[in-house]
Amino acid sequence: MEEETMKRIRALLLAACALTLVGSLVSPAEAQGIPQNIPRKELVILENPEGTIKNAGWFNIWAINAGSQSNGLQQVALDTLWYIDPEKGIDGAWDNSLAADKPVYNADFTEMRVKLRRGIFWSDGVEFSSADVKATVDIMIKNPSMRFSAVLISNVASVETPDAETVIFKLKKPNSRFHANFTVRWAGIWILPKHVFEKVEDPVKFDFNKPVSLGAYTLHSFDPDGKWYIWQRREDWQRTTLGRFGQPAPRYLAYVDPGPPDKRVIAQLNKELDVIHDIAPEGMFTLAKNKATRAWFKGFPYGHPDPTLPAVVFNTQNEHFKNRDVRWALALLVDPKAVVMAAYRGAATISAIAVPPTGVHPEAYHLPMEAWLKDFELDTGKRKIKPYDPTVGKQIADMLRPSMGEQIPGDANEIARAFGTGWWKPDPQAATELLERAGYKKQGNQWMGPDGKPFTVRLMVEGDLRPVMTRAGTMIVQQWRQFGIDAKVDLAQGTLLTRRAAGDFDSFIGWSVETWGGHNDLSFFMDSWHSQFVAEPGKSQPLRNWQRWSHPQLDKLIEQTRSIGFDDPKGVEIGKEYVKLMVNEMPIIPLMAYNVFTAMDTTYWTGWPTADNPYANPVTNWGNSRYMFVKIKPAN
Amino acid sequence: MRGYLAYFAKRFGQFALVVFIGVNLAYVITHATPIDPVEQSIAVVTSFGNTAPEAIEHMRRSLQELYGLKGTPWEQYVTFWSRILRGDFGPSLSAFPTPVAALIARALPWTAGLLIVSTLITWVLGNLLGGLAGYYQKNRSLKLMGVVAMALHPVPYYIVALALLVAFGFLWPILPIGGGSAMNVPQGWNWPFVSSVVTHSILPALSLILLGLGSWFLGMRSLVSNVVTEDYVIYAEVAGVDSRRILGSYVMRNALVPQVTGLAMSLGGIFNGAVITEKVFGYPGLGSLLVDAVYAGDYGLVLGVTTVSILGVSVCVLVIDLLYPLLDPRVQVT
Repeated sequence: MEEETMKRIRALLLAACALTLVGSLVSPAEAQGIPQNIPRKELVILENPEGTIKNAGWFNIWAINAGSQSNGLQQVALDTLWYIDPEKGIDGAWDNSLAADKPVYNADFTEMRVKLRRGIFWSDGVEFSSADVKATVDIMIKNPSMRFSAVLISNVASVETPDAETVIFKLKKPNSRFHANFTVRWAGIWILPKHVFEKVEDPVKFDFNKPVSLGAYTLHSFDPDGKWYIWQRREDWQRTTLGRFGQPAPRYLAYVDPGPPDKRVIAQLNKELDVIHDIAPEGMFTLAKNKATRAWFKGFPYGHPDPTLPAVVFNTQNEHFKNRDVRWALALLVDPKAVVMAAYRGAATISAIAVPPTGVHPEAYHLPMEAWLKDFELDTGKRKIKPYDPTVGKQIADMLRPSMGEQIPGDANEIARAFGTGWWKPDPQAATELLERAGYKKQGNQWMGPDGKPFTVRLMVEGDLRPVMTRAGTMIVQQWRQFGIDAKVDLAQGTLLTRRAAGDFDSFIGWSVETWGGHNDLSFFMDSWHSQFVAEPGKSQPLRNWQRWSHPQLDKLIEQTRSIGFDDPKGVEIGKEYVKLMVNEMPIIPLMAYNVFTAMDTTYWTGWPTADNPYANPVTNWGNSRYMFVKIKPAN
Repeated sequence: MRGYLAYFAKRFGQFALVVFIGVNLAYVITHATPIDPVEQSIAVVTSFGNTAPEAIEHMRRSLQELYGLKGTPWEQYVTFWSRILRGDFGPSLSAFPTPVAALIARALPWTAGLLIVSTLITWVLGNLLGGLAGYYQKNRSLKLMGVVAMALHPVPYYIVALALLVAFGFLWPILPIGGGSAMNVPQGWNWPFVSSVVTHSILPALSLILLGLGSWFLGMRSLVSNVVTEDYVIYAEVAGVDSRRILGSYVMRNALVPQVTGLAMSLGGIFNGAVITEKVFGYPGLGSLLVDAVYAGDYGLVLGVTTVSILGVSVCVLVIDLLYPLLDPRVQVT
């Protein structure tokens, strides 16, 4: 009897296993994670780094924080007046998109005149005109809770449209950079369709589903649970601004949530994901072994350096960090090679100056400033030192060569491009002298502050939400501790944004410097550093001066920038003065570019943007990534 | 009957009190979080654009008004309860203006579908095999199963989940590794969608079953091992009662009583979602919704999901408590 029962159990288990297998084998396309009924050769599958979208059916990007932006909506369905690519662009970094030309300001920068392109149509057949631009501004101003309302309310007095192709912005106060709001770096103020929104009672609560598109693609279908979006090339793609560069090759684009890093690697190896937005260095190293994978750099360090500058950001309203000597002392305790290895396993592009080492900046700032940096002297109170070591980039390359072999370039220019040039020499003796001049004393192995209490530094990091930066922060804390400072990692996880604005930190790993990358104007971040915007301790700090630092000379430089045009060559000279001031004062310790490990698979599509052919930023959630679709080609 | 009604009233009162305290605790904890939803929204909106600092201040004030974060804490608390009693959790702050209830309604069927099915399969298989192992203690296959169950039981969930992903998603790629259904298949009661949901749920369900099986198996084996030594079982064997009848009617039935309580608790717990399962397999559901809401400082959504969870567990415990006196004559209502 017992035997009979066991036979039945075995039969049941076998049947269950067989059913599972049969069930999974009946639809192999599903198993491959590829959209049904769409030929793979007509489809590009890209990662949407926003993950799963809670509110998948929401396409009104002009409402705050309501739905997804990077699901293809801002990349291929929307458009605005201008784009500046962080790299070289197809026809230069600056692209007149909906605008026919660059903005024209009056003498005192209180009026901006824009000439628009004609012959551009919305996907429902209505022609785009100046009325759409005016409606975009008017609706934002009338509804102060919308995404772009605040900036438009504080800048725009009125918008005039003398004809269908001319828009005149009358500004409330001089602003020589007003056009930046309608210029895509990652995003910009997207133009909305007047003929749709004028019929809507409350634009804040309007879902804009199905979206009417101004870009070359229109929505095909989406997952109500927010895992995927599929966009289809418009039949009339010639009537969009992207049409100037030819037909976008993929008929379909799918923006998907591929899940955690391990699954992204599996998905790309399974040919289910053409472009991974970003992945940990270790994931990139795994993918690099795959012949079909291409990254920004062909070999090490692979990643695309974003025009963003990770740094140690001090809260300069903290008593310790009010003192420039203390900030410099902490900088001289950082070993850049160890930080780069800990954070990026060496795959980083370092920068000693407070400008990201990417796009056009190395030629405008990093290389011309080398001589000044080499000669820069720092007075420690006991002696003068020259802290700059121009060979750090080369040292990193040399350190990696034994393990990475030929992937590490040998040419000095290539090394500088990939790994950066120099950084500050670790100099504990100089740090000691600087701290002593600031009134600090070492008792035993412990540094004490001028008040006689232990010198304590908390370095805030985001934890597993941003592992690369967390690893950099942990290494820096270790180096400070070895010197006798009571340094600790302050794990913020999801609270970083709130604490950063509230000034609730000693220091943190993050960035307050973000630039265009493809243009040398630094006002994108610098203007918000004016002392007029520095919050009182305990009050909320507007972005981006998280260090709450002010300096009369900085104010002067910002005011000079405001008084000149965007393309004025004097801008770079002002930028160099800013670099010198930042080196002297060290309110943040610049570390390196924010390298994004975008992995592109060449099995189905080729011609991706790379360091050898830098026509666009390849990072999939940037609005600028739309230019890829007219340059990539189906693989043979 | 009067005694049962009094018991019912008492238990219902306890249920109401537990729910009230639980929801209040959730309210206090979510409002004590240092994450400010307004700052989170501003960061998302402005982190890539050039927005003037004074404009940010303007936006901050507008958002506080729009999100209903103005007013004293007491006013906000009263508004919260008046909404809850109407079944309205208000709008989600991280998906404004979509109602929290709509987000939960979208996620709940995925969580419930996956977890109810996998919990029931795990429970039935675990108890069946555990019962057999406890009764047929000399059977080598069942002994081996016990060893496997004990070996698998302490393995961290994500390791098993990742191993399954690598095995069936990469080395032998026969199963989808993410999502709840296939791309470009319209949701509805149609075969392509239903079959794709089933296919997509195999790996997450398998991971839950593999790790959940052990505790039911081991628990039931121990219970049965005790029951088989009871006098009435020995008497039945001596009297020549069919062994299948002894196993089914005498042993398993009695051993199952505590397992039914465990099942009810497990079913109640499904309203917490399965965070790691959902994250690893990219499966839609309440767990991911809750985690994302915590990071976004979305009080409304966190409270909505936790309230549903509190209600789920409490209702299941209440139902079990009310059914026990009817099912098990040893439980007396006084």
